Amino acid sequence: MQVTLKNFTKTFDDTTVIDSMNLAVNDGEMLALLGPSGCGKSTTLFAICGIHRINGGQILFGDRDVSDVPSQKRNVGVVFQNYALYPHLTVFENIAFPLSVRGDSKPDIEREVRAIAALTHIEELLARRPAQLSGGQQQRVALARALVRKPDVLLLDEPLANLDAKLRLEMRSEIRRIQLETGITAILVTHDQVEAMSMCDRIAIMNKGEILQIATPTDMYRAPVNKFVAGFLGNPPIVMLEGRTSGDGRFLVKEGTSLPLPARLAGMPGDTPLSLGVRPEHFGAAGANRVEGTISFVEPQGRETLFDVTLDDGVVLRSIQPARDDVVFGQKVVWPLDAEKLLAFDVSGRAV
Amino acid sequence: MRTRTCLLGLAFVSPALALLFAFFLMPVVLTTVFAFTNMSTSTGITGGSHVITGNLLRDLGNAGVDDDIVAALSEGSFSVTPETLAAAAEAGVEPRFLGEIESSLMGQSFEDARSFESALKALPSRPTRIRDIKLATEPFERSILNTRYSSRAAMETAIASMVPDAPVDTVSAIAEASYTGWRWIDGGNFQTLLDRPETIRIVLNTVFYVAATLAFNVFVGLFLAITTFYLPKTGAGFFSVLWLLPRITPVVLYAVMWKWFTWDNGFLYVIAEQLGLPAFNYMKGSVPTAWATIILVNGFVGASFGMILFSGALRAIPVQQLWASEVDGASRWQQIRRIILPQLRWPILFVTSYQTLSLLSSYEQIWLTTNGGPGSTTTVWALEAFNTALNNYTGNLEYGMGAAMALILVAVGLILSILYLRMFRFDELVNKPRIEF
Repeated sequence: MQVTLKNFTKTFDDTTVIDSMNLAVNDGEMLALLGPSGCGKSTTLFAICGIHRINGGQILFGDRDVSDVPSQKRNVGVVFQNYALYPHLTVFENIAFPLSVRGDSKPDIEREVRAIAALTHIEELLARRPAQLSGGQQQRVALARALVRKPDVLLLDEPLANLDAKLRLEMRSEIRRIQLETGITAILVTHDQVEAMSMCDRIAIMNKGEILQIATPTDMYRAPVNKFVAGFLGNPPIVMLEGRTSGDGRFLVKEGTSLPLPARLAGMPGDTPLSLGVRPEHFGAAGANRVEGTISFVEPQGRETLFDVTLDDGVVLRSIQPARDDVVFGQKVVWPLDAEKLLAFDVSGRAV
Repeated sequence: MRTRTCLLGLAFVSPALALLFAFFLMPVVLTTVFAFTNMSTSTGITGGSHVITGNLLRDLGNAGVDDDIVAALSEGSFSVTPETLAAAAEAGVEPRFLGEIESSLMGQSFEDARSFESALKALPSRPTRIRDIKLATEPFERSILNTRYSSRAAMETAIASMVPDAPVDTVSAIAEASYTGWRWIDGGNFQTLLDRPETIRIVLNTVFYVAATLAFNVFVGLFLAITTFYLPKTGAGFFSVLWLLPRITPVVLYAVMWKWFTWDNGFLYVIAEQLGLPAFNYMKGSVPTAWATIILVNGFVGASFGMILFSGALRAIPVQQLWASEVDGASRWQQIRRIILPQLRWPILFVTSYQTLSLLSSYEQIWLTTNGGPGSTTTVWALEAFNTALNNYTGNLEYGMGAAMALILVAVGLILSILYLRMFRFDELVNKPRIEF
């Protein structure tokens, strides 16, 4: 089911949180609403499922306008951050709840619940109560409850935020597996770029109630539309250098260092203020340009090692490389910089 | 070292223990003790003496004591002897008159007051006022009737002197019966309660009162809590305060307001009159309206209590659960019935058990409004116990009977508490986390 938001506006009292947002989620697609806390991503989710009434615009499920349909009748499945399982009901009763309020017959309910429990791998937990489940199991139950009545849309509100790191990895792939198996249209709200990138077909990145860019994870990582998107995606984060163009295809960092510009920007007139973004994987691996500096920080991460390299004039570049211990703190290095991969933004923050 | 710490601990808890003993245990112990006595205003609570009264003689006669003995004991005689003369002198009879009595009537006996009086009237220095003559006869009266004997032995001697030929066991039984202090009567009070025809009435009244008021408390409390829960915040606060008023208002003032509301020419009366409906004193004028009044009076107080507890519990349910149930398709009613109410089980249990116990023992509002009337149609056990022990209009406060009634109430309360704890598996409810995140 395609989900479309047209000029969606949401205000709380006098504060406009979201102002005429447009978004289209394709049928069977999993889309991430990614952004820092307070950016309006959960508000958007709650508007789609009907918990929040919208103040303007339209929400369409397929061709059906559901803007004024109460949440009970929207046929959406929601997984809440704290799972919101009903503590007084067993797992079976929790999953059966959407069916039994609809008035389905006992055998139907039994069959549907068993089927969805098999899909989410919780068959052996059906008799327990939520209090007797681990976080990951509760997550699966919440997912099963959201999916059991075959909703048009599955909405996930920070579903992994309450899990520990290992379970988070496991559930990440589980949720994606289930979404792909059911072919349901899903919207994932998260502030974690790794979740968004690893689980979703496309990401809609939001800030201050606005969608900045909608793209596949790779495209968004490679070609962010602005400084905010570039900074939000990537771990370890991108390094932003402020400076001006020299006019001859180079970039003069404020502090004095001169770095090459990608070839597509070589023709830029001189003295144009720019921000240059250097991702850590584009420094120290390959490239035609050489940059000299001193290792000022080493962070081994097991498979990789993260370095901070301080250039002569104090500019710090970050580099991530396959684990190596031949470089130590304080050592002078000359590492390549892949100038073609550098990102550049104008004064307003837009990519150029 | 270990002993010292133990003793120190004991020293620290001892004030609490002493208070517990004095204010929690002692009342129950004393109630139990009193319940097995016939203590009342007339027996006193310390001790008594032995007196044969006219009433007692009538009772003895009814109980089958020989009529001759009863007659002999009731007879008084007037005799002039050195002892009675001395008693008369002490009572302040005029010495000259007394001298004449001594000289002319010494050693004589008179069957009744009349003949003795006429003998006295014949004496020259008799008092002019009849009243004084009557007063002068009193010290000469030799009778067991209404005479206090401090010990049982003295009483037996006195009885024996009046009826020398009475059998010893009869004398002893009469002496026993003449005791005015309180006595252990084993289960006598309980037997009396069992035998009384009005006991069953009071029990039924109490059951009805508790059940109806409890139902009102819980249902109205729940209704208010849930409706205010769905109201916008500002309105909800206002309503909460409004519903708290019956609880905040002093009991007496609250009862007086209900009187104004329901009495002759009260608010309801006037409205009913205007509407052409039957207008009368609703509080005391008919049994149904009297019941309605006391159930509402108590019900509103308890409903606010329930509302506060239920509201708190409602607010403890994570809002996401309610959202979840809405997107799961549950209507408001299904949400209340299937998500909210089951999670209010613990506060509902608490309000039910707490209110049952407090309603069982509460009588203030009833006392202040219908006072058990009309007749004794709205008299409940606690009110009856209170009236028996502390508020009897005949003036004879029956502490022993009142204590017995109170003891029954304590026992019923205890049994009910245990039942409630069992029924709702209280410990399980308290031990387990009620709300999961």
